[in-house]
Amino acid sequence: MAELLEIERVGKTFGAPAEAIVAIRSVDLSVAKGEFVSIVGPSGCGKSTLLQIVAGLVPASAGEVRLEGQAVTAPPTGVVYLFQQYSRSLLPWLSVEKNVRFGFSHARSLSPREAEERCVHYLDMVGLADFRRRYPWELSGGMQQRVAIARALAAEPRMLLLDEPFSSVDALTRLELHGLILELWHKTGLTILLVTHDVEEAVYLSDRIALLTRRPAQVAEVFANALPRPRKPVESREDPRFLELRHELLTRLLQPA
Amino acid sequence: MVGMQLRGFALVIGLLLLWELSVRSGVVRSESWPAVSTILQALVTGFKLGGWGEVFGSSLYRMALGFLLAALAGVMLGLVLGASALLHRIAMPTLEIFRVLPSPAIVPPLIFLLGVDDALKVTVIAIAAFFPILLNTIAGVKAADPVHLLVARTFRVPRRRILLGVQLPSALPYVFAGCRISLGIALIVTVVTEMIAGSAGVGYYIVSMQYAMRASEMYAAIILLSAIGYLLNRLFLALERRSLRWAHGLERQAAHG
Repeated sequence: MAELLEIERVGKTFGAPAEAIVAIRSVDLSVAKGEFVSIVGPSGCGKSTLLQIVAGLVPASAGEVRLEGQAVTAPPTGVVYLFQQYSRSLLPWLSVEKNVRFGFSHARSLSPREAEERCVHYLDMVGLADFRRRYPWELSGGMQQRVAIARALAAEPRMLLLDEPFSSVDALTRLELHGLILELWHKTGLTILLVTHDVEEAVYLSDRIALLTRRPAQVAEVFANALPRPRKPVESREDPRFLELRHELLTRLLQPA
Repeated sequence: MVGMQLRGFALVIGLLLLWELSVRSGVVRSESWPAVSTILQALVTGFKLGGWGEVFGSSLYRMALGFLLAALAGVMLGLVLGASALLHRIAMPTLEIFRVLPSPAIVPPLIFLLGVDDALKVTVIAIAAFFPILLNTIAGVKAADPVHLLVARTFRVPRRRILLGVQLPSALPYVFAGCRISLGIALIVTVVTEMIAGSAGVGYYIVSMQYAMRASEMYAAIILLSAIGYLLNRLFLALERRSLRWAHGLERQAAHG
């Protein structure tokens, strides 16, 4: 498989050299085209920072991120970062449809008709086509995150970077969104890199899981996930391979420093 | 809400009745303290003869022009200075020096440059109304949610579109607050400039009536001025509510969520 993304010895330090805080020591990881990879680590280990470096939103202090061989220094085309805080990532002065349009309208010159069709298409994918004239703050948290997902997909990226996108919705909505994201991943052939502290989420969704150490972060180990697809919300979670990987990851995460 | 307002107006009417009584009962006997009924007669006569239209028309025209210029310049410059820390640092000391000057103080020097007609008054009104809008716009741009800006970057939204499509709408509640302050200032400065220099408008009229010892006409103009100021503020509040529906919706969501 061709590597789409390569993270090579990426490090990040904050603050002046004298009192610098090393957030990320050195991370190596690559993601193949079409793969679903998760990064799991303890809170505050710098995994969101790592994802923002991959997204070109934050510069790395050391090492390099390459997308199809090209070094990432600014947000690259075709890579979209999905934020954890859906209520802050949607623009409250725009309707749902205009929010979706915000993600792509400047990139290509589409006729108003084509743009609307594209909005409706992706809102339909997340089941919200009927809500396109509403405003984000009129919707529930789960619906808002679905709008944010539709907006990300409507930009038709090659790669989606998910920063704990399911952590601030309720448990049932989270399961629904898991199903949705897997379905969309399957349909679109996207490559997905997910950052989460939820071990079950990582095991349920991904092909491989990179376990990070405590800060300063580095990859402790990359686990291949043997859990068969298609994943089913109830049965997959009772599968011995799911339980085994979950056990391993949780044990490692809970180890005293 | 309506009931509360009616009760509020009852106090206004009560005070006016007290004024009327103070004259009719003979407690106050003065040429310069006419009864409210006499003032109202002068008010009505003014409407019949069409004199108010001329007096207030020219004042409101200058005020509107000065205010619009201030709003335009304040918002445009505010956007630029809010978005660029460097320009903000360069421009602020100069702006602060001008800001603290009381606007009547710049009338005499400006007379040298602009004469005593509309150009002078509109300029002074615009300068005075400019600063609250400028400072509020700058604060509003700086208060834009950093997540919104990151979202714009991950979608590779061009700089100018971020300014107009994200930072300007974010600043809008601040812009409106600044404009409302400036609207009041514009009305004050309109009247003051007409009192200092000129031969038209309500400021000139009030002073002339005072010189001519025509107290009823003087008070009639003042009462009308107050009514117009009140109405302008109410109109502006209504416009603000319509334009900032999303901000109120967001507040409600925050309160419930």
